[in-house]
Amino acid sequence: MADASEKKPILQFAPFQSVVDEGFWHRLSSLKLNKLGIDDSPVPISGFYAPCSHAQVSNHLTLLSESLPTEASEQAACTSSVSLGNRNKCSVPGTIYNTNTLEGYHALDKQSLLKAEAKKIWDDIHSGKALEDSAALSRFLIISFADLKKWNFYYWFAFPALVLEPAATLVGIKPASQWLSPEEAEYLSAACREWRNSNLTADVPFFLVSIASDSSATIRHLKDWEACKGNGHKLLFGFYDPCHLPHNPGWPLRNYLTLIFIKWNIRRIHFLCYRENRGFADMGLSLVGEALISVPEVWKDLNSVPNAVGWEYNMGKKGSKCVNLAKAMDPTKLAIAAADLNLKLMRWRALPSLDLNVLSATKCLLLGAGTLGCQVARMLMAWGVRKITLVDSGKVAMSNPLRQSLYTLNDCLNGGEFKAISAVKNLKLIFPAVEVEGVVMAIPMPGHPVPSEQEESVLNDCRRLHDLINSHDVVFLLTDTRESRWLPTLFSAASSKITITAALGFDSFLVMRHGAGPFSTSNNLKTQTLSGPPESMDTASLSDNNCLQRLGCYFCNDVVAPIDSTANRTLDQQCTVTRPGLAPIASALAVELLVGILHHPLGIYAEGEHANAKISANYEQPLGILPHQIRGSLPQFSQITLVGHSSRSCTACSETVVSEYQDRGMEFVLQAINHPTYLEDLTGLTDLMKSASSFDVDWDKDDDDDDFVEM
Amino acid sequence: MSNISGDGTLTPGEFRVAAFAFAVRWKSSVSAFPPWSWLSPPKHPWLSNEVDGYLALENVCLLDSSEENHAGRCTGLEDPNCSGDDEPIDDATLVQSCRDDFRYYDFHVIYDSSYRVPVLYFRAYSGDGRTLLLSEFEGDLPADSSEALVKSKWTFITQETFYHGLQEHPYLNRPWYKLHPCGTSECMKLLFQSDTSIRATSGAAELYLLSWFSVVGRMVGLSIPYQMMKCENDT
Ligand SMILES: [Zn+2]
Repeated sequence: MADASEKKPILQFAPFQSVVDEGFWHRLSSLKLNKLGIDDSPVPISGFYAPCSHAQVSNHLTLLSESLPTEASEQAACTSSVSLGNRNKCSVPGTIYNTNTLEGYHALDKQSLLKAEAKKIWDDIHSGKALEDSAALSRFLIISFADLKKWNFYYWFAFPALVLEPAATLVGIKPASQWLSPEEAEYLSAACREWRNSNLTADVPFFLVSIASDSSATIRHLKDWEACKGNGHKLLFGFYDPCHLPHNPGWPLRNYLTLIFIKWNIRRIHFLCYRENRGFADMGLSLVGEALISVPEVWKDLNSVPNAVGWEYNMGKKGSKCVNLAKAMDPTKLAIAAADLNLKLMRWRALPSLDLNVLSATKCLLLGAGTLGCQVARMLMAWGVRKITLVDSGKVAMSNPLRQSLYTLNDCLNGGEFKAISAVKNLKLIFPAVEVEGVVMAIPMPGHPVPSEQEESVLNDCRRLHDLINSHDVVFLLTDTRESRWLPTLFSAASSKITITAALGFDSFLVMRHGAGPFSTSNNLKTQTLSGPPESMDTASLSDNNCLQRLGCYFCNDVVAPIDSTANRTLDQQCTVTRPGLAPIASALAVELLVGILHHPLGIYAEGEHANAKISANYEQPLGILPHQIRGSLPQFSQITLVGHSSRSCTACSETVVSEYQDRGMEFVLQAINHPTYLEDLTGLTDLMKSASSFDVDWDKDDDDDDFVEM
Repeated sequence: MSNISGDGTLTPGEFRVAAFAFAVRWKSSVSAFPPWSWLSPPKHPWLSNEVDGYLALENVCLLDSSEENHAGRCTGLEDPNCSGDDEPIDDATLVQSCRDDFRYYDFHVIYDSSYRVPVLYFRAYSGDGRTLLLSEFEGDLPADSSEALVKSKWTFITQETFYHGLQEHPYLNRPWYKLHPCGTSECMKLLFQSDTSIRATSGAAELYLLSWFSVVGRMVGLSIPYQMMKCENDT
């Protein structure tokens, strides 16, 4: 026959739930990297909790960045980041065991760790320390492994609870508002408010409540137990209850009961689960319960620590948790988000028609990775271009880093790294998400005969260049010699790729876009324009009948461009110095020009527009006009836009040259490389120059070649 | 508190006063949410901040009203290699079929000293502490806020609310969402111009934050109850 007490149900406690704020993992990561290294000894930490404040949700024990000790370097700055007396942040002591490997994490002896923490609680109860610092009753531990390569954090909490054997039974439990008289509830609420609003007590989670016969309520610290006992008052053992459930107390009560029994030998315990709403005591949510304890006398033995339980449940069963924080912590992902945000802001504020998708999808080929190439690559990335290929055969020289913005002295050491390699490396340092490739290759040049044994390798370079141009959407001509621009101009003209040239003199520059090739048709137009097609697409057909309307290329200017002031200037053939500001200006304009083309409905076929002209009335362009050529001069701080149409006798883009190339392919290219006058003869340039000389114009072939000393 | 300047901005001192007044009024008239608190994080010695703290409303648990959404949502990842059945069975542990799919919101109102206006920072996180991306929680935001506000003068803020990436929190140095302050002063100016008597009254700074929050709060699901706006003349 069972007696009455055995029929009573077992008092069941709702387990503590944990939440780890990202800031905790941030600081743990930096602590691991900067201070702890491979030292995996346990680290004392603080968790924070508060009384439940929501009728449907329990409060959590939370780990924040300030849960961890500050790093030495930060200590000067933040003397005490954990503010005392914060009512919503009751500090609870804990310990973290952070392992160096996942294997080490799995291999931890969890039962021993739990037992070790439970012993601390047991000892604190017996020594009386828990009466002074009651939060020690809720001491916890966490095991963790931080995978800083993938930003995965494995962790498992334990809230050690000393097990009462047999378990405590529940006599009854109900809302405090029902257990107390209305007067008592009112007095108790007022006393709680005072306790919770004082900096000295707000974060003390265990307390004694005594209610006198006149219903007045007093709240005291545990250490003031002597003042409460034997005065005939109702005595409630109160605690901040994180749990919201209407019939169960939360976890902190477990060790509290043990303390009450051990220290004061009380077996019938009235407890108050203190809960709040909007910062005030909520007597409907708070519970008062009555528990009975029957414990064997062996508990008096200090040396035998009772069994402990408390590993946290995850989704209803015991198990470790893992959280991936790559989105919030991976610097690459953060950089991408920040860069995207910047561009989006630009779109929202100033350029609603800005097409960021087009920019990020456009593949740019940069021929030359010197002053211009470095700067163009940076500008492209700033505009959101994400696919870049750099071609250069040179190595980084000691003089380069000052002007070529992608290199540092390190790139010059040991004979210098290839520019194409260094540029890739450094672009990725600037923005890890850029898809950049480097090609170490010299560009074959016309009029530079090659010995027959090298012919094959030169032809290989030609084919490689051809393939590179065809696999990109945009070609930038940024090489340091005039001749090296010829072959890519020809290839671009043959396949009508958007091509942009930037060239520098000592204190003047030219930036221009090439027109479409001579055989482009309206079919090409469809594929080339990136924005909506215009209504009259057929009229934009660019057959050889109206090729005069094609915009010229860099080489067309040789013959059709008017002889301007720069042509009269004598430039030292060997002199490749330019004013340092020139390359960044020209590079920036080259990229802005590309953005204009990509946003123009006609794309590569767009007419050349002049500043101040109103020919752009057909299409309202938020980015402004789309010029053909921009020439700038630093001495005058001036800049003019020019339009030059294609020349029938152009050595690179004329119908004659392109059709010759298309008929004879690499054989033609080789001939141009090996025979200095072949191109001039083919296009009739030779005759033209003779006639020019006869007019006694100040026009010299050699000088003309150095009109722009390219970098 | 004196009347505020007519350009829609606040001084740091006015912000502090306004913040305290706002928190007090919130506590007395908003029953659905916990109170705001003023947080003063330790100062970095090399940063001279004009305002010594910010308003915070944290751990706001917005219950998902649509029950059907709960199935299949999984917040914490389990590590399958690490389960613990070696612990003794304990009768006193309440095993809950716990509903762990709550989302929590933190809101901070921080003074922006370049725009000289309050800025709302916010973030959402799941039960495992992971900060959620806007795409993961925008379903929680009021459905009408985008539509209704797109047509109003607040369009600008709205767009940014919905498309903004994470920004660095000025005190916590971690990514948070924010409503960008660039349109705030203009809007506040308009709001106050429409009623010049408000601007002249003492307590206008207190009112500033209330008016401001009545607009920005709506966008993140924190509506100011009518009675909070109504009692403004009592101060
Ligand atoms: Zn040409």
